[in-house]
Amino acid sequence: MTNVLDASVTVQAGSAKIKADAVQVYYGQNHALKDVNVEILDRAVTAFIGPSGCGKSTFLRCLNRMNDTIATCRVEGKITLEGEDIYDQRVDPVQLRAKIGMVFQKPNPFPKSIYDNVAYGPKIHGLTRSKAELDEIVEASLRKAALWNEVKDRIQAPGTGLSGGQQQRLCIARAIATSPEVLLMDEPCSALDPIATAQVEELIDELRSQFSVVIVTHSMQQAARVSQKTAFFHLGNLVEYGDTEQIFTNPKDPRTESYISGRIG
Amino acid sequence: MAEIGQHILSAFDRDMESLQGLLMRMGGMVETALLEAAEALDTRDSDLAARVRAGDVAIDALEEQVNTGCARILALRNPAASDLRTILAVMKIAAALERAGDYAKNLAKRTVVLAEMPVVSGASSTIRRLAKAVVEMLADALDAYIRRDLKLAEDVRRRDKDIDQMYNSIFREFLTHMMEDPRNIGPCMHLHFIAKNIERVGDHATSVAEQVIYLMTGALRLDERPKFDTTSGATEA
Repeated sequence: MTNVLDASVTVQAGSAKIKADAVQVYYGQNHALKDVNVEILDRAVTAFIGPSGCGKSTFLRCLNRMNDTIATCRVEGKITLEGEDIYDQRVDPVQLRAKIGMVFQKPNPFPKSIYDNVAYGPKIHGLTRSKAELDEIVEASLRKAALWNEVKDRIQAPGTGLSGGQQQRLCIARAIATSPEVLLMDEPCSALDPIATAQVEELIDELRSQFSVVIVTHSMQQAARVSQKTAFFHLGNLVEYGDTEQIFTNPKDPRTESYISGRIG
Repeated sequence: MAEIGQHILSAFDRDMESLQGLLMRMGGMVETALLEAAEALDTRDSDLAARVRAGDVAIDALEEQVNTGCARILALRNPAASDLRTILAVMKIAAALERAGDYAKNLAKRTVVLAEMPVVSGASSTIRRLAKAVVEMLADALDAYIRRDLKLAEDVRRRDKDIDQMYNSIFREFLTHMMEDPRNIGPCMHLHFIAKNIERVGDHATSVAEQVIYLMTGALRLDERPKFDTTSGATEA
């Protein structure tokens, strides 16, 4: 008999997509992330959990060099995407961010039409040769983001006119329009109602068949629902990393236990 | 659990504590029911047996309360990690205790019938000894649960083989009685069901101990326990 709990795990997670090796992050004098070693799998959802200020968002932002934009921030150690050092001087951060897309906490559509929001990335990266090809990418991305049916009749309407949940799915469509390999999501549902949250979670579950998804979330239940791997951060340390099922039923570290069971840790 | 501190929501701790309270009351009632049922059998006390039978309703009601409490916590508190394992263990322990209570009730029922039959010499005191040993196991298993005592739980699990051995010898004793005198067959059949039921209570005590092991380690003991009940293959005394 197959274990029913395994059903969610059996979608074959790929090999390591991103490897972090002894990553340290400093904001000025503040040592924000201490010696993080982790392998993020391809075609799987990895959740980062931990209390505010634990370093989970900082680490997420290291993965597509968003921390480059903060002057006082210094990143040490090595992060590789399929073996290539993403902090190598020859790497163009803009190209990197096309490969490693990001969705933020608050939906932030451009003040443009729905169509242009999604078309923007492929255009600036020169991914298409014709209008027809671009139309195709826009439709496919909106379909993947489970938004197409809701917006297909008003594709030229402003993206900012959509509801919060629709805006967030628009941002996801925008992020996947450049065919990234990794999708980073920083609290993608914290501004959404339960229905929109469920839609985004369903979407995340579908996306993992094509991408490696990394999600930062404050909702433990969300981490448990959508991820296959969970990493728990505390005070800048990666305390525990393992199968989501194990982290939530039988964590090894008492700090993980305290946090996920709602105790004063 | 004490070693990792209290919940930020103190109402969560109160819910968990009230659940433990219910479970312990249930355990105490089951232990008493078994001991009194065995005493009633030994002393041919139909009144005491009737009281044991009537008491089972309260045990069943407690199990319902435990289940309702568990469902409430699952629905409202989203327990994780050791909290989740505790809830799962509590539900299974309550179910094991409820079954043990049913066996005590069945023992009491047969006691009333046996009181009208000829005495089989020595049988009821042997059964009373068996019942005492099983109740001790059950009490230790519940103690292991309350104190989160892994060693004691492992010990209970091992002791089940002693119960099996006691049951084996009772089985042979009854066969001998029945072969000696066919008039013993009626009472011996009842006594044998009683002995078998008490042996089953031992199995439930073992499963309580296994829940304690799961609760503390997160691992289920799936390895086969050594079995010493050989009567399923026995054809003669």
